[in-house]
Formats: sequence, C-alpha cells, structure tokens
Amino acid sequence: MNPFGRYLLNKLFWYLLAFVAAMALNFFLPRLIPGNPVDAIVSQMAQGGGASGEAMQRVYDTYIVEFGLDKSPLEQFISYLGNLFRGDLGTSLGNYPTSVNSLIGAALPWTLALQLPTILLGWILGNILGALAAYKGGWVDRGAFLGSLAFSSIPYYGLAILLLYTFAVALPWFPTGGAYGFASSPSWTWGFIADAFRHYLLPFLSLLLVVIGGQAIGMRSMAIYELGADYVGYERSLGLREPRIVRGIFRNAMLPQITGLALSIGALAGGALITEIVFSYPGLGTVLFDAIRQNDYPVIQGVTMLITVAVLAANFLVDLTYGLIDPRIRTAHGAGA
Amino acid sequence: MIRSLFGNGRFRLSFSLIALIVVTALVGPRLDDRNPLFAVGGRYDEPSSQIWLGTDAIGNDVFLQLMHGLGTSLYIGLVAGVVATLIGVAIGTLSGYIGGLLDEILMGFTNILITVPTIVILVLLSVALQNRSTLLLGVIIGVTSWPWTARAVRAQTSSLKTREHVDVAKLSGAGTFGVIMREILPYMMSYVVMAFVLQLSSGVLNEAGLSLLGLGPSQSISLGKMLQSALQGEALRTGAYWAILPQTILLSVIAFSLLLLQSSLDEFFNPRLRRR
Amino acid sequence: MAALLSVQNLRAAYRLANGVELHAVDDVSIDLREGEVLGVVGESGCGKSTLATILALNAAPPLYVKSGTMQVQGRHADLTESDPLPRSERGKLISTLPQSAMNAMNPTTRVRDLAYDVLRAHERTTRKAAWGRAGARLEQLGLPTRVLERYPHELSGGMRQRVITVISTLLDPTILIADEPTSALDVSSQRAVVEMLKDLLARKIISGVLFITHDLPLLRHIADRVAVMYAGKVAELGPTERVINTPEHPYARALVGSILVPEPHIRAARVLGIPGSPPDLAAMPKGCRFHPRCPLADTRSREEVPPLVEVGDSGSHFAACWRTLEARQLLAGNLVGGPDGRVG
Ligand code: SF4
Repeated sequence: MNPFGRYLLNKLFWYLLAFVAAMALNFFLPRLIPGNPVDAIVSQMAQGGGASGEAMQRVYDTYIVEFGLDKSPLEQFISYLGNLFRGDLGTSLGNYPTSVNSLIGAALPWTLALQLPTILLGWILGNILGALAAYKGGWVDRGAFLGSLAFSSIPYYGLAILLLYTFAVALPWFPTGGAYGFASSPSWTWGFIADAFRHYLLPFLSLLLVVIGGQAIGMRSMAIYELGADYVGYERSLGLREPRIVRGIFRNAMLPQITGLALSIGALAGGALITEIVFSYPGLGTVLFDAIRQNDYPVIQGVTMLITVAVLAANFLVDLTYGLIDPRIRTAHGAGA
Repeated sequence: MIRSLFGNGRFRLSFSLIALIVVTALVGPRLDDRNPLFAVGGRYDEPSSQIWLGTDAIGNDVFLQLMHGLGTSLYIGLVAGVVATLIGVAIGTLSGYIGGLLDEILMGFTNILITVPTIVILVLLSVALQNRSTLLLGVIIGVTSWPWTARAVRAQTSSLKTREHVDVAKLSGAGTFGVIMREILPYMMSYVVMAFVLQLSSGVLNEAGLSLLGLGPSQSISLGKMLQSALQGEALRTGAYWAILPQTILLSVIAFSLLLLQSSLDEFFNPRLRRR
Repeated sequence: MAALLSVQNLRAAYRLANGVELHAVDDVSIDLREGEVLGVVGESGCGKSTLATILALNAAPPLYVKSGTMQVQGRHADLTESDPLPRSERGKLISTLPQSAMNAMNPTTRVRDLAYDVLRAHERTTRKAAWGRAGARLEQLGLPTRVLERYPHELSGGMRQRVITVISTLLDPTILIADEPTSALDVSSQRAVVEMLKDLLARKIISGVLFITHDLPLLRHIADRVAVMYAGKVAELGPTERVINTPEHPYARALVGSILVPEPHIRAARVLGIPGSPPDLAAMPKGCRFHPRCPLADTRSREEVPPLVEVGDSGSHFAACWRTLEARQLLAGNLVGGPDGRVG
C-alpha cells in the first residue's frame, strides 16, 4: 500500500477506537447514578409539581422503555447503539415530549455559525501574527507575544464577560445577549440579518481573540525555530531572494500548526459552549446548561455525543489535510504517523 | 541558576503575581471569621467602606466570598494538577522506558483520551457523580487531563533512556522502577515542573468551566461558582459589575501568570527557544 | 600566480550573553589561487568552521566579524559589514557547500524547486528552462536527472550530498567554500564527492575551492595546498605534500604524526602525539597559543606571538613558530619573510 494510504488507515483506526470509547462513556456514565435513573428523574419532576399522576405514569413508562431498563445490560447497549445509528437521540425529559433531535437541531446552526468562522479565521490570523512576530523581532515581537499570551491565557468565559461588560453594559453599543432581538424572529430579511449580526459580534470576537492568541504563540515559536534552521543560511548564501526564503520558512512552520489546529478544536468546542452561556446565545452550550440544571440525561447525552462526533470528524479532516500537504508523509518510506 | 532565573523579567512578574495570589488565599479567609454564606445586605448593594466589593444577588459579601472562593479554586487546581502530573508521569515513563506492546497500548489509550473532547468526559463524569466534594472535583479534573503530560513525558523518556548512565545503571542490576526513579526522572524534572504548572492552570480554569455549566463543587464557594451565580443572577445586565468582574479578573490573572511562569521556565530550560 | 580570493587580517569573535567575547578567528590572512583546492585542517574549535561561515557570508549574531577584508576577482568587500557582497553576487562569486545536505535543504522543497529558486534569484528564467539546466548539469556530472523530482528525505545520504554539490555550483560560482562536505559520509560517498569537486574544477565550472575538514589524509587526495589552523590562527601553510611529509610547526608535526601512517622520516614526530587539548577560547594562553602543549616551548614562546613566516626555500611553505624560525636562521643566517602575518 502507498504510504499515504497507510497513514490514513492508521488514523482512521484510532478515530474509530476513540469513537467507540466515547460511546461507551456516554452509555455507562449516566447509569452510574445510584438507583434507577428514571425513578430519580420522575420523582424530581413530581417535586416540581405540574404533571398529574397519570401523566407521570406515562412519562415513567416511556423512559423505562427508552432506557430499556427491563432488559439486560448487553441488550440495553445494543439498542442504544441501534438508536444512535438511526440518528435517534431519544426524548427530552425537561421539555417532554420534545425529541432531543429537534432541540439540538434548533441550537446547532447557532453554534456552527459561532464556531466555524472563529476556528478558520482565528487560525489564519493567529498564524500571520505569530509569523510576523517571529520574523520582525524586537518590539513587534514583544508586543505580539505578550498580547497573545494574555489573550490565550484568559479563559474563554473571562474574555466573554469582560467584553460583554465593556461593550454592552458600560458602553451600551451592543445587545447584552441572545442571538437576535425580542422584537424580531428568524427570517432571511436584511433587518433580521443586521440584528443577528449585532448580537453575533461580541461572542464571535471573544472566541476569535482567544483562538488568535493561542495560534500566534504556537506559530511564533515554530517560526523562530525554523528561522535558525541550516537551510535558511544555505539559501541566503546562495543569494535566494528573502521573500522566497521566508515563504519556505513559514510553510514549514505552518505544518505543525495544522496539527495544532486539530488539537485545539476540542478545547474550542468546550470554550464556545461556555461562551454561549455567558451571552445567552441559543446554541448547544445553552441547551447543555439547561439540560444539566434539569437533569435531562437524554439531552446531555445527545449533546455530548454530538460534540464528540463533530470534534473527532474535524480532527480527522485536519489529519487528512496534513497528510496531503506534508511531502514527508505523502512520500515517506515506511515512516509511521 | 536561581539568580539567572530571576534575571528574566517575565519570571519575576509571574512569580510575584503567583506569590501574591497564594498569600491572599492563605491569609485572606483568616482575617475575617464571618461565614461567607451569610447575607450581609440586600441584592446587589454597591461597594462601600463596610462591604468593599458590595453584595451579590442574595446579599452575600462579595469580597469575603472572593477570599474563600480563591482558596477553593486553587485547592481544586492543585489536586487536579498533582493527580494529572502523577498519572501522566507514571504512564509516560513506563510507556517510554519499557516500550514495545505496553507502549503501544498505553499511548493508544492516551491518544484516544486526547481526541475525545475533555469537556465531554468532564460533563459525563460530573453528571454521574452527583455529590462532588472539592477533592472529588479536583480528582475528576485530574484524571481527564493527564494525557498531555503523559505524551510529553514519554517523548522525554525515550530520548533519555539511550543515555549512557541509564545503561550503566541497568548493567549494575537496577530494576525498572529504580532506573526510572533515579536515572530518568531526575533528568526531566524541569519538564515535569513545567507540565505541572500548565496542569495547575488548566485545573483552576476547568473548575470554573464546570461550575459555569452547573457542575461545580457541591458544598463550597469557588471562583467558578461565584461566576455562575453572578451570571444566573444577571449581575452584568443589572450593572452590578462588582459581583462578577472581580472573580473574572482574578481567574484571568491566575491563568495568565501561570502561563507566563511556564513560558519563562521553558525559555530558561530550553535555550533553543531564545532568539539567536 | 593570480590570487582568486584574498582574505586579509580576519578577526572574528562570538559574543556571549554575559558580554564575554570568544575570539574564534584571530588575524588570519589567506589566498586562494586560480584552479586550486586549498585545504584548511585542524581540531574542532580551531576556528576553521568559523572561517568557513564568514567566507560563505553567513556570519550572524552571536558571531561578529571584528576586522577583515576580502578580494574576489577584483571586487573588494569589507567583511565587517552585515552584507559584504550584494545578494546578486552571493552564490555566484562565492558559493558554499555545507556539511549536511539533509539540514541544508528545506525538507518540504523538491530538488527541482530549489534549483529553480537558485537560478531565478540571479537571472530571468522559467521553471522549465531552470529544470532543463539543472538536469543537464546533473547529467554532465554523471547523476540521474530523476533526482530533480525528489524531496531531500527520498535521497540516500551520499546522493543527497552530491545533489547539493550540484545545486551549490549551479550558478558557476568562482569560489566554492566547502565546509566539511564529506564528514558525515561513508568512504565511497566521500570519494564520489571529492571526484565531483575535481571534475567541477577540471571543467572550469568553478575556479577554486576552500576545503575545510578535520580529515588530513583526505586532503592528500584533493588539496593542492594545506593550511593547518590552531586556536584561531594559521600555524602552518604550504603545498600538501610538504606539509604532510615535512611539517615544520610542532603542532602540524603532531597532527600529522597522530593521524597518518608513520613513514620512517616522521616516526620521531609520532612519538610526540598531542598531549592536552586545544585551549579554551575564553582563556587564551599568552605568546604562542600552542605552548602549553608544545614540547619545544621556551621563554620566548610563552611571551611573544610567533609570526607566520616562510620556511624552506620553495617560497611557498610557511610556519608560525619561534623554534622553527631560529633553526632556519641558524641555517641561513638571515630572517626570511616579514613579520606581518601575511601569507601566500
Ligand atoms: S613557538 Fe614555541 S611553543 Fe609555539 S610551537 Fe613553536 S616552539 Fe612550540
């Protein structure tokens, strides 16, 4: 088999294993809660009042069947897998009888709109900044480095809160939360898009700055390392033009940054969830938060499952790109992944 | 060595900040023996000469809570850092030193844990464990964040194990454990220390993140729980900045100074990173 | 004979973080003649690599050139400047052949792209034309043209070093500075590189080579003249056969004796060996730098620096040693050459 195919298969194997592990966690951990989870849930719902005894019994029966608690653990696991592969994440407890699918479906677009552009734009801008800092040195470097260090070390929610306070409360330039104003409802009109954009800007910015900071730090140290490489001196003494040399340096420094991107996607996903909570943004983070408050296990499981799948898929995509770009993998002679 | 370490401006800055924070956490709560969970005023009273940082949504003294919460957060971070570093070093050295099949299995496991997003494991674990003491929360965070350390330690170990002094020790009959403890670990203490600093910082931040999701320590005040109650109590939108900015800034300063400390140590131990 | 390259009074030092300066090259003057290979030999730390770095115009902090000029084909360059030669002359007037092709080639650049970059930096050309020229040169020197398609990691070590030799001489440079180009190779690859350099000279693609190495026997096969360096200074300089067969400086004698198969007339020297190690650059001995290790050292050696002066009567053999000088003076009754340290 050619080296790239081997690289790909190896990666695929590990991602599948990670997926299985995550699924197992998803299945077993909620079952660790002492006692019958359905009892706990239903009694909690009963405490809240609201539902009649008859309705309660119906809910109870639904969950016994859904959790498959009348079956053996193995059968439970198999039916869990079956549901999962059919894309059925079950029914919400907190918002009975809404399906988890529809809850997540409503939140997902907002989360994607927030995360995808931050990842891509943040990665690109961060790498440019880091490269610039490494190449220019001096004050540019000091400023960019300390700034990046500050932004990348501040927790996502920290920056979110600071921005929210400064630009929505102290200076009331932006709305204090939500994805659009109370007066409007989602539609493809200019008015709504402008409104949504005003709500979007602060959470977007707070995530973007952190990503830029983290990527810039990584790029800077990689580029400093490459700047000192032997080939730079050799190319200079052959009279190569500086832009050519610099291009080579940054292409090489970029490669580990692609892996760095894969690794930061998971952390970003987590950070973005919390940023959504700060801004009351109606994405997966807010859904997860509400679910945790209401002990809504099907929703918690659904959200964690979705995040896992998305992060694993994104990682795999990045690894694939890396394999395509780096000639050392594309044409390696028996080198491992 | 210590003197040249202090010659680094970044090290001096981060070291003083951290020292200040630790001293505050240790001394702060002892200066005032009132119960931080006891209301002293109304909802969001403004800061005054009596109540320095005002009150929160249920009338608690923000400053008093801050003093107690800081300690809890650092404690959880410390437990998480120690647990993660211990597991990471154990798995990393075994994997790197013994190699072979054991290495493949351990690193496979490590890589799986790295790819599954930490937040997912944290949420699932915390949901499963309904009663979370500060110690338990620290351990939960620790057992989810060791893979990074394990990976770095393994790389160090495999390069160290080819050194001559390791061979000599092996020839003179030292066992695996003895060689790791005496011939490998001491030579990578600097890496372990840096890894610990990073784990400490991520431990403090993860506590806050979990608290924000409503999965904080059950019975105590921490910086994260203060953040969560302020957010839930709409402190920002009410304009009660005093109830939310102090813990936000404190968390950011802790994270920043720990990262600064790590980066100055890194530069000190790896002169290659210094500009030529 | 016309000097192709003439380096005058080169002094250079490494500046450490604590402000201490280590003088790695101290007042070295060297000439390279048309069509010749000048070997520079010495132990590690003698300054030969620093010399190569400076002449390859690659000196960068913490290495600082304190003084020194260079003359190449009528062009005058001040080596203390940060860019002694304009970019357009680098690689053309003086080119460099590094020790490790693996490190010197960008790992993500194909050979053909490097060739294109090199040619394009100096003249208008198209990708196709550049690849064609590089291919023709490879063929001329007996290498397969398919290496153009390869990345550095796809070539064997020996092939990589020969390929980089082609790249380094693609612009037909007047002078090639070869810094230990064969040190990392096996014997047959070493020979291949040496033969390739000779071939390049014979074809007049290059006009002179400064060959830096720690491998004295190797110089026998390639160098016309040899300069022996010790502690940043030239200790002895002369035609290869003379330096190897009848070394005049005690250090050169020890070096020859410790390395070469002893022949009858130098067996005595071999007994000497070289006790001790090269001096610490931070604590350079006064007077002759070799005196702590020299069996012939006397009071004058410990006080005054010996000049590099002519020894023998060929007009081309020089050494920097008081005792050698005295022996000559006793023989000839007069002082030959001047004490200005000028050579060649
Ligand atoms: S000058 Fe004196 S010390 Fe130096 S090499 Fe000659 S004899 Fe030895």
